[in-house]
Parts: sequence; C-alpha cells; structure tokens
Amino acid sequence: MKKVLGNFNKAFESRVRLGIMSVLAVNRSMDFISLREVLEVTDGNLASHLRALEEAGYISMQKSFIDRKPNTKYTITEEGMNNFTRHLRALEDLINKQ
Amino acid sequence: MNQPDQHLEDIKVIKKLMEESSRFLSLSGISGIIAGLLAIAGAVVAKLIITGTFQPEDWYSTPFASDPAAHRTVVLLFADMAVVLVLSLAAAVLFSSRKARKSGHTAWTHITRRMLASLFIPLVTGGLFILITIGRVPANVTIASTLIFYGLAVISAGKFTLGEIHWLGVLEVVTGLICLLLPEWSILIWAVGFGAMHIVYGLLMHLRYKG
Repeated sequence: MKKVLGNFNKAFESRVRLGIMSVLAVNRSMDFISLREVLEVTDGNLASHLRALEEAGYISMQKSFIDRKPNTKYTITEEGMNNFTRHLRALEDLINKQ
Repeated sequence: MNQPDQHLEDIKVIKKLMEESSRFLSLSGISGIIAGLLAIAGAVVAKLIITGTFQPEDWYSTPFASDPAAHRTVVLLFADMAVVLVLSLAAAVLFSSRKARKSGHTAWTHITRRMLASLFIPLVTGGLFILITIGRVPANVTIASTLIFYGLAVISAGKFTLGEIHWLGVLEVVTGLICLLLPEWSILIWAVGFGAMHIVYGLLMHLRYKG
C-alpha cells in the first residue's frame, strides 16, 4: 500500500489538473481556447492550474500569433507524461485493491 | 465522497476527457442514411444518362471523355455527381452540428479541423487523379477510383471519429477493387458502395449513438 501511495502524485489532486494532463496526454499539444472548451472551466481557473503544471515542469508553453491574434499552445513534456502515466497506474492499483 | 469512489470518479473523468478531446463524436448517422439515398438516386440518374445518350453496350470499356460526342455525357454525369456530393456534405454538416448542439458539444474544434484535413487530402487527390485520367482509362476504372479514393479518405479521417467508420472505409476500398474486376456491373457496384453501405452504416450509428 505504501508503495502505491508513493506513486500518487500530489500535483494531480485537482480535477482540472488531471483534466489538463489527460487531454494533453492524448493530443500532445493544444491551445488555451480549445482546452477551456474541453474542460469547461473559467479562464482564471484554467490559467492558474496551467501555471502550476508548467512550474512543475509537466507541460510547456509556446506563445505565437495566428492571424495577428495571440495564440498560446501547451504541450506535455516527457517528464509530465512519465508522471501522469505513473499516477494513472497508481489510481488503477488503488481501485483494483478493493 | 470517500477515497476509493473519488479515484474511480477520477478515472472516469480521465477516460471521458481523453475520448472527447481526441475524437469527433458528433458525426450524425442520419446524414449517412441521407447520403446513401442520394447516392442511389444519383446512380439511377447516371444509368439513365448513359443509356439516354446512346452510349454503346460496352460503354465501360472506353474512357468517359473519349470523343467530342461523349462530352455531353461526361458533363451530365459530372453535374449528377456534384449534386449528390454537395447535398451529402450539406446533410453531414447540418445534422452533425445539430447533434453536437443537442449533446452540448462544440462541433467546430481542432479535432474537426484535423479530421477534415485528413478527409480532404485523399479526396482531392482522387478528384485530381480522375480529372487527369478520365480521357485515358476505361470508364469503369474512373468509377472504381471514386470508391477507392473515398474509402481511403474515410479510413484516414476515421482516426478522429468513432471506430466503426474505419470499416466503412475498408469496405469502400474493397468495393472499388471489385468494380475493377467486374466492369459491366460498375454502376450497380457503385450504388452498393455509396448507397447501400452508407445507409447500413448510418442506421447502425443512429441506433448505437442516438442521432
């Protein structure tokens, strides 16, 4: 049990962060607007969770311009992918133990 | 909520988000049925055009645009096919956006754009292929290429939508290859590929995913 909890990642305790990681794990990268649509959260809420994940080194951000409009794209990092996979496995183990 | 329940709920949320964010879920079954009916009507009209413009019995073994006298046939057939294509696409757009609205999804997302790009690359290639070869290959080869390129387009776009459409694409390609082998049955085979198969697919989707 202790080992399982060891893989349990505190950074993913929030649903929104878990959501961001799920979406980026399958799409690799996505822009802010699309993320907001898929996750159905407010701008401020999404931005703060994105910042937290970026600070943890799990995602990276690229700013660019498309048709002169600013576009912010988020991509999952290798570290983020590894940690998310480990977290998923820990979740599954916890459920299977019951 | 106690801990185990919360973990189970987490997994469910993850699964749902992974699916919704990477697939176009609003493709409407009804539009498949409509496309199939339009294709059958189009095939009947094509048959009438070919017999009505005094084409020889073995019209399929010579190119569609072989001589100036046959140009009228080609123009009529093109118009016929264009009407079928435009109406089918319109039905797909209309019913899919309606389905998206009903289920609270957004129809126009980055997935839709990626799906359309992977649909249109093989489709436009096929269109150009047909335009370039129409005066040089037997008519049944032209008919077969519409099925083959459309099938490849569906397989390629199928990666971004529900799994079953992949098999529709595979069947369209197989039908196209059969059309090459049985030239005298070209129009009937085309009607089965674009007509009957879309209707069956549309019905299955409609029953399975409601809409």
